[in-house]
Amino acid sequence: MTFGSLNFVNPFGVWENPGSTAGDFYAVNFEKKAVSGRVILNLGPQHPSTHGVLRVLVELDGEYVARAEPVLGYLHRMHEKMGEVKTPWQFIPNMGRVDYLHPLAWNWAFVGAAEKLAGLTVPERAEYLRVIGCELNRIGSHLLWWGAFVMDLGGFTPILYAFEEREKINDILQIITGSRLTMANFRFGGVCADADERFFRLCAEFIPYLRERLKMYKGLVTDNVILRRRLEGIGPIDVDLCQRYGATGPILRAAGLARDTRKDYPYGVYPKLDFPIPTGPINDSFGRYLVRLAEIETSLSIIEQAIKDIPQGPIIMDKAPKATWKLPAGESYFTVEGARGQIAAHITSDGGKNPYRVKLRAPGFSNLSLFAEAAKGTLLADAIAILGSLDLVIPEIDR
Amino acid sequence: MFLSLAIVAQIIVAVLLIIALMVGNAVVMVYMERKVAGFIQRRPGPYEVGPYGTLQAICDSMKLLAKQLYRPGNVDLILYYLAPILAFFPVLLLYLPIPFGPYLTALPVGDGVILILAFAGLGVLSNLLAGWSSNNKYSLLGAARAVSQTVAYEIPMILALLAVVFLSGSTDLKVVTDQQGPWPWQWNIVLQPLAFFIYLVSLVGETNRAPFDLPEAESELAAGFHTEYSGMGFALFFLSEYANMLLVSFVAAVFFLGGYKGPIADGFWWIFIKAYALMFFMVWIRWTFPRVRFDQLLNINWKWLLPLGLFNLWLTAAVIKVAF
Amino acid sequence: MLKEIWDNLKGLYSLGVGMAITGRYLLSPVETIHYPRQVVADEIMESFRGPIQLTFGPKDPAQSRCISCQMCVKACPGHCLTVTKGETKSPVVWLYDFSYCCLCGACVETCPASALEFSHKVYLVAKSRAELSMDLLADLKSRALKKAESVKSELPGSAPTTQNLAAPGPKDSPVKAEATKTPLANSDPEPKAPTEARPPKKAAKADPLPSDATIESRPKNGSDQ
Repeated sequence: MTFGSLNFVNPFGVWENPGSTAGDFYAVNFEKKAVSGRVILNLGPQHPSTHGVLRVLVELDGEYVARAEPVLGYLHRMHEKMGEVKTPWQFIPNMGRVDYLHPLAWNWAFVGAAEKLAGLTVPERAEYLRVIGCELNRIGSHLLWWGAFVMDLGGFTPILYAFEEREKINDILQIITGSRLTMANFRFGGVCADADERFFRLCAEFIPYLRERLKMYKGLVTDNVILRRRLEGIGPIDVDLCQRYGATGPILRAAGLARDTRKDYPYGVYPKLDFPIPTGPINDSFGRYLVRLAEIETSLSIIEQAIKDIPQGPIIMDKAPKATWKLPAGESYFTVEGARGQIAAHITSDGGKNPYRVKLRAPGFSNLSLFAEAAKGTLLADAIAILGSLDLVIPEIDR
Repeated sequence: MFLSLAIVAQIIVAVLLIIALMVGNAVVMVYMERKVAGFIQRRPGPYEVGPYGTLQAICDSMKLLAKQLYRPGNVDLILYYLAPILAFFPVLLLYLPIPFGPYLTALPVGDGVILILAFAGLGVLSNLLAGWSSNNKYSLLGAARAVSQTVAYEIPMILALLAVVFLSGSTDLKVVTDQQGPWPWQWNIVLQPLAFFIYLVSLVGETNRAPFDLPEAESELAAGFHTEYSGMGFALFFLSEYANMLLVSFVAAVFFLGGYKGPIADGFWWIFIKAYALMFFMVWIRWTFPRVRFDQLLNINWKWLLPLGLFNLWLTAAVIKVAF
Repeated sequence: MLKEIWDNLKGLYSLGVGMAITGRYLLSPVETIHYPRQVVADEIMESFRGPIQLTFGPKDPAQSRCISCQMCVKACPGHCLTVTKGETKSPVVWLYDFSYCCLCGACVETCPASALEFSHKVYLVAKSRAELSMDLLADLKSRALKKAESVKSELPGSAPTTQNLAAPGPKDSPVKAEATKTPLANSDPEPKAPTEARPPKKAAKADPLPSDATIESRPKNGSDQ
């Protein structure tokens, strides 16, 4: 591997020559613009608060971040390449692993793209089950984000309270998907397992239970003066910044623009469901925090309606595609609303056994790109708070 | 300076007992911290080692003792090894003037509070040396934060204790204790609630405990100034942090909560109960609140605690002058 | 100035509220299941996707329904199955490498003979990679034997499973069941692959590291055949 005209730098040079600034490719590039008197710190891939293996090179002027640059690729698992060597049916479990916190949305993106390309219609009961599963998953993802975010800020308890709720959600989702983390119950033309009476009973009990617990979260964390002082006024991200980098999801909604794929490009049975889009007037970290908590409430109301309206019927279409199914030639693009933003799958197929190309659009990739600009001039602790409020999951960014 | 043999023997015995107390305290505190953390987080905490996990701390200390003393290549050797030792031993000195019981003071000097406040600053030096000598930018940041934080929070502490000294008229810890009565409404906390509050906040800030634990902020700095220490070095830092906590709790118990005096029988058990109640409170706070940002931490100190402490001192002096 | 003081006092009150919440949880019972003294009830584990196993035959439980059609082998994304046909349609070798399995269910759904199902082995542990290469025919035989024994002895409590709750209560989880004498009842007692059922060319499978023999049996380049 060559880097063009750049000489290969010995990464162990710093141990052999103390005092030298030898480093790897990214560190050397970053240091070229270094200003004397500033410290270059590597919030390395192994770090308790970067939510995965994210590396951020920061240049600190005292405690203020003068420059920041995220370095990706430490968790690249070549999902898109696997899309080219696996049949479409074999690729569905992959979509459960891209973002393991909202796997059903990624499932939906890929399965939806394949169904759009092949012109399959999904029975109504399956659509409702997809919606219930996806929204429950979204609540689980937001709960984990909430717990991990407060843990970044130093409060170690709320994440365990969030995990209590997540355990209940996972119990419910285990009934229809069989897994608790990397779920893959979507099939071309429907879902793979039906929901029984126990599923609906647990859902119906879960909704008021979570509403009670959200009140406790408000008392313990949201109203806490220390948290407020940490988050209010930190990292304002306005609509212009979002649009320049293509950020979507709660970041864009907190900035003030009400963009939600469930309303803008409706899919499934979302047109039949009535739900608001929480849009925050406040666009700093605390605003993003409030928008995500409001989205949990929105998801709860969607699940309530879906449980009431779900019809009886088949859960997969007649003559559903089997494991050896081939996609017809053509391309399709399908986008869904994930917990982090707009997820999309773009499948190009030439009619062969495997797709020709599967392109996955990860919302985290665009959301992370605006970190360098948003964190400029803030304190290091604030930069960590902004990073946490962006709700990044590195596996989805690196795919 | 004439030191009689009796006093020297008393001090030696006391030092040995205090070392035993510090070690025992670490064992108890590790267990209490993990169990309280567990129950707050709705999980059992240590359970397997010993009955209900009571031997966990002992096994942890044996593990730390047996660990390889690994140090990075480019550290400043003398400072690197001096830092944990410097963290541990000055705290011994601070335990000497505390009256554990009516006749159980290791070093009955007339200015115990001045001794404590003066030598409490030595802990700063160990943090600084650890951070500097580790040859690690994270440690350096942690050390820089630790220095400004510790130095800053000593001042409200002094002011709060000074108010009680004004009340009691003496800097001798035993006199301060004797001035209070056995029952809770006769303790100094009733007369000086603001000073107690100021002391409580600066207590948490002085010992680098959450929510003021930025020098060892795990989510930002991956263990701060003691990143590069493992095994016994880390154990000494750990031990000294808990010993420091216990010391300031003892001082708080003596100054505000009546020391060894209690409702039924005066004795050393009361001061231990009070000190451990305060330690429990500190553990409870640690697992509830997120961390304060560094500039906010210093703001709290310089803009709120210091003026409040001065105001409290002025008020105390005015009341004493007028009333007596 | 006064507003600042009032804000700070309200802030202190919020701190007190937070401490009251954690204090309340400090004094309430724990929420976790204390394994192995308590285990999760069967009702929750019914839908769990554990490693796959062969279903009992219609006439003889120890005889699988598999017809060696190789559809599961082709459908598997991780290429973890090896099925070798015997003289009749029944397989003689049925190997399943759990370390490659992603529990997607393709094999279960594709099988035309309904010969595969998900087990509910939640407590499966293995100390080496070789232990995760399971011989499903031997596993089927041992399960059929256990089923026959439990049916034969009509004593109550002889079935080595955890207690079932009589009826699901309003608070369904945490569903804790007290472990009976065999707390690891859900795990298969034979996670290791016995060596005698394998043909000679696969003898190297007993290695902890995947040897070339294992890799050769997988299709090249990960493509389907």
